[in-house]
Amino acid sequence: MSSIVVPKLKAKKKLSAVDRKRRRSELWRRIKRNKMIYLMILPGIIYFLVYRYLPMYGLIISFQDYKPYLGITGSPWVGFTHFERLFTSPEFWTIFRNTLILFALQIFVYFPIPIIISLMLNEVRHSLYKRGIQTLIYIPHFMSWVVIVSISFVMLTLDGGIINSVLESLGFTKINFLMSAEWFRPIYIIQVIWREAGWGTIVFLAAITAVDPQLYEAAKIDGANRFRQIWHITLPAIRSVIIVLLILKIGNVLELGFEHVYLLLNASNRNVGEIFDTYVYVAGLQQGQFSYSAAVGFFKGVVGLIMVVIANRLAKAFNEEGIY
Amino acid sequence: MMLSCRKFVMGLMFVMLAMILLACNNESASSNEVEGGNDEDQSMDVGEGDQEPFAFTIMANLHTPEVPAETVLEEIEQLTNTEIEIQWVPDNNYEDRLNTAFATNTLPEAVFLKNQSTFIQFRDAIQDGQFWELDPYLDQFENLQKLKDNVQDNTRVDGKLYTLYQGRPLSRQGIIYRKDWADYLGLEAPTTTEEFFEMARAFTEDDPNQSGSDNTFGITDRNDLIYGAFKTIASWFNTPNNWGEREGELLPEFMFDEYFETMEYFKALHENGYINQDFPVTSKVDQQEFFKNGSAGIYIGSMGDVVSIYSDAVTINPDVELDVHNYVEGPTGEYGIWSIPGYGNLVMFPKSSVETEEELLKILGFFDQMMTPEVMNYAYWGIEDVHYEVIDGQALPVDDTALLDREVRPYQAIEVGEAETNGRYEGYFDYEPKAKSEDLFIDNENYLIEDPTVPLYSETFTRDGARLEQIITDATYQYILGQIDQAGFDAAVENWKSQGGQQIIDEFNENYSN
Repeated sequence: MSSIVVPKLKAKKKLSAVDRKRRRSELWRRIKRNKMIYLMILPGIIYFLVYRYLPMYGLIISFQDYKPYLGITGSPWVGFTHFERLFTSPEFWTIFRNTLILFALQIFVYFPIPIIISLMLNEVRHSLYKRGIQTLIYIPHFMSWVVIVSISFVMLTLDGGIINSVLESLGFTKINFLMSAEWFRPIYIIQVIWREAGWGTIVFLAAITAVDPQLYEAAKIDGANRFRQIWHITLPAIRSVIIVLLILKIGNVLELGFEHVYLLLNASNRNVGEIFDTYVYVAGLQQGQFSYSAAVGFFKGVVGLIMVVIANRLAKAFNEEGIY
Repeated sequence: MMLSCRKFVMGLMFVMLAMILLACNNESASSNEVEGGNDEDQSMDVGEGDQEPFAFTIMANLHTPEVPAETVLEEIEQLTNTEIEIQWVPDNNYEDRLNTAFATNTLPEAVFLKNQSTFIQFRDAIQDGQFWELDPYLDQFENLQKLKDNVQDNTRVDGKLYTLYQGRPLSRQGIIYRKDWADYLGLEAPTTTEEFFEMARAFTEDDPNQSGSDNTFGITDRNDLIYGAFKTIASWFNTPNNWGEREGELLPEFMFDEYFETMEYFKALHENGYINQDFPVTSKVDQQEFFKNGSAGIYIGSMGDVVSIYSDAVTINPDVELDVHNYVEGPTGEYGIWSIPGYGNLVMFPKSSVETEEELLKILGFFDQMMTPEVMNYAYWGIEDVHYEVIDGQALPVDDTALLDREVRPYQAIEVGEAETNGRYEGYFDYEPKAKSEDLFIDNENYLIEDPTVPLYSETFTRDGARLEQIITDATYQYILGQIDQAGFDAAVENWKSQGGQQIIDEFNENYSN
């Protein structure tokens, strides 16, 4: 019995080895055949290796008590101490909640706006007027957050800010916009919209121009008005673009704009405004707790990864392409 | 046709690849140069003797918006036979750069630290032997020995000296106010906190600028509880300086009633509109602007700033008159003013970049030469008859502040010692309030409130002190703005204690009683 079984097994092994070999050689042949195309993605691969994967080596320090002069190789290992400290610190849930709320604002409030704007722009008949507006709304994207926050500061301050002056002259009481927890989130999202909404229309406008004009003509003959045309033609046509961008946006879940939030923070809104990015900056760069802040950053990255996977699954569930 | 097209594409690909590889190469080569090149230069210098200028790098704070011209630096280099590169880092984000450079092991040969709290952060690294200890070498340097012992003692770590200090008067805090407004309203310089409150009220409500409308307020303050108005006013109320003793135990300032009284006082100033309503988010530039443009009449901070404030204010309003004042009694009838430990900045020498004793001696040799009047006058005042003139053995800077900012003032950041020890000219001030402020610095020395924890060490404070302080800073602002009440403030103090504050108290007291 056994004498029969053994050769069988061997044969199977041999086969799979040959199989693998063949597959590999086939891959090589394919690479050789398309070497130009493979060469073309080389810069991209190098970029990702050097700037995205190599730095991950540094994550090691979140499991160490990192001392710069000892380096990564010499610093003592401390296991999950820094993660324990993060998860047990009373600030953790505040920061986590703040991060998620700002993220939700980005997705539910900010994200639809560029789509609406591009639909509206698409309906503009006068092409010079349309292009003029398009150009104008790109401009804020090129301003730094420092400028934008400073402008809002000058407008919102209690000490002679224009908005409070207007409120006062109309007989309302002044509103403490800057030093209040309630106003932090509205100010944050309004600034995001002001700066990014115009820029965000580019991709959607490009997608809309790709829609076959015959569809509109057909719809018109069927008696569809402009709203019907948007609803039944334009939106479905750019649906996959919307979903890909949404997934990408979710992937950046915890990139809420460090500079922006940091500039807005003060004593009165820290409770609602402190997010992972600002926390990492203060703990790591200002107070020199390198390992701890690396642990916080690591955690943030893991959350981001989970969100992308979930979003992609959802996209697939709705029969869309997803990003992988 | 097809072939030539393919050739073209192939050629293009090669060019691109070559460019990428070259770029990578260049990058690593140039970074090598930055890291290794300096060291090589130096070892070469050591080999070739003292004729070649000695090259090294200093990291220092930049207080002006722009990196200065090198006119003055060239003079210094010539006198000291050195080739100095200064890494200017804006003072606002000095901590980040310091920590980043430290984390990546790229600190230069001589590193200025900014202030006492950054020094405390580096204590761990100092104890670990990352910086050169200076005691064994200082007796070779005649001029460095002149540095004051009592200030040096404030910078010792476990009894050892690692730094050279940059001297500062112990307390420069006081009031700068609009003399013309006070005269018009018939007010004298305030000597009690009540009179001060009255002045703030009158400057707000009694139309001190005779404009007929309500467009002024009393005090202009900024987002800084320490160098802004708060800590100075707290001193008038006799609040301890950071830490104080009660019944033999050291406790942080915010556990004292005096601190609370100061908050109440501020709250009243704020509620009545006698202080800018957004002061917790006001920058120093904006704060001074309110004073310069005639919106506010009282500025609390370093009294020496009166010159720069005046020179700007007078361009807006030629009739402006300023004065300085220090003595304000609190409710107990005593005046007190917080002090710094005698130094403003410190310079240290990391072992990672200064690799040999020989190099260290050369760098110390440079600072030794810096501490002679010939060299220090260049660093502090600039070039005689270009940037300043000498009157009665004192230096009078030229009126062109833009020129001074561009060519001279930044180099004051690399001073070591003070006029007393490095022999540079004292300033000659033809602007009377400035001369008065110099006298008041000396007067302040009679009323100093010192920080008892300066010579003490607490591990928790070194590690978490800055983070914990945020809790109290935030709570203090929130109390002043009326966003929390006393219970809320007490809760913040409890929070501070539970997150490590209690440990800090224990550790300091253990050191204190010993």
